[in-house]
Amino acid sequence: MIEVTLQYYAQLREQAGVSSELVSTRAANLRELYDELSMRHGFSLPIDALKVAVNAQFSDWNRMLGEGDTIVFIPPVAGG
Amino acid sequence: MMSFTITGEDVDIAQLCDGLRHPGSGGFCSFEGWVRNNNEGREVSGLEYEAYTELAIAEGERIVAEAMDRYGVLAARGIHRVGNLKIGDIAVWIGVSAAHRDEAFRACRYIIDEIKHRLPIWKKEHYLAGDTAWVACSHTERAHEMEPPYRHGQHEGYSHTHEHYHGSGTPVAFTPDYSRQTRLIDIGDVGQAKLMASRVLVIGAGGLGCPVISYLAAAGVGTLGIVDGDVLDASNLHRQVMYDARDVGQRKVDLAARRITALNPTIAVLAYAEPLHAGNITDVFAQYDLVVECTDDLASRYLANDAAVLTGTPLILASVYQYEGQLQVVSSIPGEPCLRCLWPVQPAPGLAGSCVESGVLGPVPGVLGTMQAMEALKLLLGLPSAGDHALQLVNLLDGSSQRLPIDAASGCALHGGCVEVARRAVDVAQGHLDIDRLFDRLHDAIAAGYAIIDVREPGEIAVQPLPVNALCVPAGLVPEGTTEAIEGRVLLVCASGKRSSHAARLLRQRGIDAYSLAGGLTALHHGLDA
Repeated sequence: MIEVTLQYYAQLREQAGVSSELVSTRAANLRELYDELSMRHGFSLPIDALKVAVNAQFSDWNRMLGEGDTIVFIPPVAGG
Repeated sequence: MMSFTITGEDVDIAQLCDGLRHPGSGGFCSFEGWVRNNNEGREVSGLEYEAYTELAIAEGERIVAEAMDRYGVLAARGIHRVGNLKIGDIAVWIGVSAAHRDEAFRACRYIIDEIKHRLPIWKKEHYLAGDTAWVACSHTERAHEMEPPYRHGQHEGYSHTHEHYHGSGTPVAFTPDYSRQTRLIDIGDVGQAKLMASRVLVIGAGGLGCPVISYLAAAGVGTLGIVDGDVLDASNLHRQVMYDARDVGQRKVDLAARRITALNPTIAVLAYAEPLHAGNITDVFAQYDLVVECTDDLASRYLANDAAVLTGTPLILASVYQYEGQLQVVSSIPGEPCLRCLWPVQPAPGLAGSCVESGVLGPVPGVLGTMQAMEALKLLLGLPSAGDHALQLVNLLDGSSQRLPIDAASGCALHGGCVEVARRAVDVAQGHLDIDRLFDRLHDAIAAGYAIIDVREPGEIAVQPLPVNALCVPAGLVPEGTTEAIEGRVLLVCASGKRSSHAARLLRQRGIDAYSLAGGLTALHHGLDA
């Protein structure tokens, strides 16, 4: 099990009910992690509508998780 | 001699000029409106003007009289053509002579602006493609509405001192005092002069736009363009703090222009009351040093990105959601990332959160818009870290903020580069614009070489058959239907123009030169009888 910090923005924050959380996961990469979280929180956004950043850098969804990573999921927003 | 005339003949300029000679005149100014070969991206072959002549003359004379009175000029004349005009013809001519040049310029501008705005004259454009369209002549901005009340006989020179009136009606001189910002060592008088010479376009005068427009006007940005097609709604007021309760129902672009003219009468304001589109956006961007995108519309944001990249204009994007926001500066410098480097295609409607559906707290666009204004000033002034390409995320509930650098190498660079990607996207958007064709009658379309395809359902056709020969293919069958029977240029028609437009796009993808009757059969000027 790996422990990572998650931060959510916009619709994801709303659906998760928190703006950040610490989770332990068996997911190998970011894609698996998002799938796991989608099940748990009922995220409605498909993965290709999102951006993901790890430790303050945009990242590929196939990136492996590292202990203590800070992972941010970013949806597009339109309001003005 | 009448001061305003409507004529079906060519305009004789020499004769008109002679009529304006006056011993007391030291300056003469004229304006000529010519027929040009394109409008909003379409090639124009000629124009036709129609006027309600009696009213046009009466109103035209009134306008000339107003200009003479307002600016104290010695002589003024205007003439407007009607009938058929070809490319290069003079459509309208204004001439003014005055003691000094300033009054002559201003009076000339006043007359042409008012003519475009008030005269009952209609313009029909004839396109090279064979179709025609009536074009509104009245959506012009009037420069004099933005200027302080002008009193002739007074010469201010070119200082930044203007005049405005307080509510009491007492004229007071106003000289902006930028000392609090020029004291900053990186700004000074040199920076202030840069701002005064700058031209910034703000798209959207809403929650983000209010702080952007206010701060840029207050800072002394010399020319501000404002684009907004909406009227103010009461539900806007909690976040659009430039407006007040009395303004509800009025056009935001007018309200914003008035507000910032009151805030800083020394700057010039250009108002665009219609959203920009693929046909005109690059021309408009080319007139500005910088663009700030403040709409809540994803399509507008992507179009602005593409136009910015194509014209090399820096663009500042922001968007908000509930308690948080995102900010991105697109420098439009080759090799630096654009919006599409991050989000390659526009998300489907419904995927991106909006204020209408999800709500937003007023200060959120206030903060993000203020950040946009800050980024704009940094770019205009060349301050440190200007145009830094990162996506900035701001959460105003917990006060956190993150900057995520955007890697240009993994964005558009993989698809031919930002410019190539933008060009393809604008071409597609223009293609959509180019699909609609307006005709008064279906016979006109046939005369122009179009074959008609009726995409309505058989039941609709039975109730309202077409008066011309047409191929009948219900819109739903267009995707799989055979195209062998279709030759040359075709015009698809339905009741409202929606189904035909969609079907025309599908046929275009199959290599057919397909168009859609704009507005559908209900928009035909003469119905279905002729």
